Amino acid sequence: MNQLEAIIEKEKETSYSQRNKELFSFYTLTLINQEQASKRLKRKLWVSLLLITGGIFLLLSPINKMMNYFILILSNPSTVDIFTMAAVSYGFLFVLIVFLKKRISILS
Amino acid sequence: METDEELVRRTLSEGSHHFGVLIQRYADYLFGLGMRLTSGNTELAEDISQQAFMKSFTYLKSFNSQKKFKHWLTGITVNCYKDLIQKENQHLSLNAKDEPSYTPHLEGNIDFFNLIKPLTEDEKILFTLKYVYEYQINEIADLLNLKSGTVKSKISRALEKLK
Repeated sequence: MNQLEAIIEKEKETSYSQRNKELFSFYTLTLINQEQASKRLKRKLWVSLLLITGGIFLLLSPINKMMNYFILILSNPSTVDIFTMAAVSYGFLFVLIVFLKKRISILS
Repeated sequence: METDEELVRRTLSEGSHHFGVLIQRYADYLFGLGMRLTSGNTELAEDISQQAFMKSFTYLKSFNSQKKFKHWLTGITVNCYKDLIQKENQHLSLNAKDEPSYTPHLEGNIDFFNLIKPLTEDEKILFTLKYVYEYQINEIADLLNLKSGTVKSKISRALEKLK
């Protein structure tokens, strides 16, 4: 038992030191910061993915309704609807041509 | 000099650079604990202390300031040691036939390492904490999430083995 106590006492007196404490501390802090940055990036990516998915879902649902509406109109054509659609299409085309002309004149 | 608890609070509120002071303060202590648990393997001891600091930073929010930071860090270090040993054992069992044997760089008090050699990993941890670091049974139980009775019986079993 005395020998056991002597070995333990000797071990208590033994001191251990890191080879280069400054470097160890710097390196560990760098690793910690790296890990934190990676976690932040992952979190941002997940949030972005969630927002994009949500956005697409929100945008697609009215488009779907609009498509259904147009299909309904096209399947039951009436003169008024045809004239309305033609007016809307040509109106849209006119606005587009005016817009493009303006852009071309600005560029030239 | 700022206390550990103040540094923890400042790390949480102002940033990781305050944690650097805690790393410097406990680098030698954790390295020493790692050396004793790994029987003088410097590379493993360095790995363990680094893992312990990284883990403690990750879970810093859960640190209870009513307790001692050093005790909390000791518990984390012991868990890191257990994880590392488990990984080493898995790695060794998988690659025992394929890889040449690796001789680690050993340093320290050989007598002590030889003394604790017949003990199991758990007994080694408990024996070191009790007799080298002079932790009380209830403190060991608290920092390792064990029952005091379990700690006491394991330590007495370890002592029986060493007699």
